[in-house]
Amino acid sequence: MRPAMSFELDHVGLAHANGHRALTGVSLSAGKGERIAIIGPSGAGKTSLIRLIAASLRPTEGRLATLGASPWQLGAGELKALRARIGVIHQSPPIPPRLRVVTAVLAGRLGQWPLWKALASLVYPGDIAGAHAVLAKLDLADRLFDRCDRLSGGQLQRVGVARVLYQKPDLVLADEPVSAMDPALADHAINQLIADATERGATLVASLHAVDLALKWFPRIVGVKAGQIVFDLPPVKIDDVLLRDLYSSEGSILPTQGNEPLTHDLAPGAAEIKRPLCA
Amino acid sequence: MSRESMSAAVDSPMRQAAGFCLACWLSALALAALVWASFAYLKIDFAGVFTAESRGYMAKFVVSFFPPNLSPEFLLKTLKGTVETLAISGVGTLIAALAGLALALPASNRYGPAFKEVTRFFLNVLRSVPELVWAVLMVLAAGLGPFAGTLALALHTTGVLGRLFAETLENAPPEPADALTDMGAGASAAFVYGTLPNVMPQLVAYSLYRWEMNIRMAAILGFVGAGGLGQLLYFHLSIFQQAEAATVILAMLILVVLVDGASSYLRRGFVRAGA
Repeated sequence: MRPAMSFELDHVGLAHANGHRALTGVSLSAGKGERIAIIGPSGAGKTSLIRLIAASLRPTEGRLATLGASPWQLGAGELKALRARIGVIHQSPPIPPRLRVVTAVLAGRLGQWPLWKALASLVYPGDIAGAHAVLAKLDLADRLFDRCDRLSGGQLQRVGVARVLYQKPDLVLADEPVSAMDPALADHAINQLIADATERGATLVASLHAVDLALKWFPRIVGVKAGQIVFDLPPVKIDDVLLRDLYSSEGSILPTQGNEPLTHDLAPGAAEIKRPLCA
Repeated sequence: MSRESMSAAVDSPMRQAAGFCLACWLSALALAALVWASFAYLKIDFAGVFTAESRGYMAKFVVSFFPPNLSPEFLLKTLKGTVETLAISGVGTLIAALAGLALALPASNRYGPAFKEVTRFFLNVLRSVPELVWAVLMVLAAGLGPFAGTLALALHTTGVLGRLFAETLENAPPEPADALTDMGAGASAAFVYGTLPNVMPQLVAYSLYRWEMNIRMAAILGFVGAGGLGQLLYFHLSIFQQAEAATVILAMLILVVLVDGASSYLRRGFVRAGA
């Protein structure tokens, strides 16, 4: 693995214990600081791909390296240290409903904090200012001391995003991070993730259901279908035919934010202005 | 379908209901025989209970408890006994809740099946010995007094709460703690941030419920010399001071009612805060 690589998958496959095959022969790599969107129909293997890169699922075949290490050959302590540098945003954030927002956000640093600090922070939040700062970026600062079960699905997703912003990992993996937000908020949240990754030189990989969001913000789009990568292109190279083929199993309508038609956007000329060019 | 077969289909459930059920009759007969055998074996003289003579004895016995001894000195003695009983049940339950949680971790399969089986067996042993038997053993081991009662309650309740806590932990969703270990958190930190917040209301409710039961048990444990109101009651009953015994029984009643009320208030408050 080259030193500037953030992660590298070499013919990686994943079959679940129940025999269901989630991914087959996936080769994908990203340099440090890259921003990649993964798109594809539901059940294509986007979540499995993200969990593999996150060293959360172990591949059944192929080679995999994340942040310069092969996670499944590391000892327990080294694996823990590696995972502390990886931040995962879940589609439905697995946060205990009784936890306060401030505690849920501060949990982002549990990988760095010694146990005594983690325990003390449960009694009195250790870094209220830090939690406030990241929540303010997502317009959620006023909910700092609310309990998480008082939040809507979209607000809880923003808490999940805030947790990873607070963690400051070298590799941010987001699995449908904005699926429960309205279009304006989703746009804002993605903007914040990208700004944070750019500022710190971190790598960002996000699976997105809304194709327009992916095309607007990401210079590299990876299409996944039936457990395989079908294309890996800059947005300018992606056309209607590619997308219709990718989503052929979901009917004729491409998934976008608010279900607005995407087709007129893809007309040559009009679309290119909106999309960033591949660096 | 012919008319004949249709009518048969309609009244077949009725015929079934009216039908002779051999198993039912045999069960009823066996039950009756068992009841009769029990009475015969115990040789209970129910006729004797209702004679005029025994009615007189009963009335005299009940009357002898009244009026209760409400002299200031004895009330103070009863109050001391009440506080002791309260303390025995409180400390015993608290120790049991902490020990139960510590044992529930291995018993909920966090450290592999070997640890699980060993701790489950240990919890079974603690639980299957009743509080009173533990109290007798503890009086022998630690001497007369509240210490023996506290230990007895703590031992039995640890067995009960350990098992209940272990099942609560096993049923808790694993995702929150898994998400935290995925971002490098240690097992302990992931447990207190990811699992404990989800199970806490259940653990507290179980502990409060056991405290309610333990306050009643703590009042009885004194009969074998393990301190508290029970010891007071046993002492006065055995020297036929029914007036003093009546005061103690009254104190037990008030204590149990108060603790039940406090416990259900606390539990409701906790559940509401958790909603």
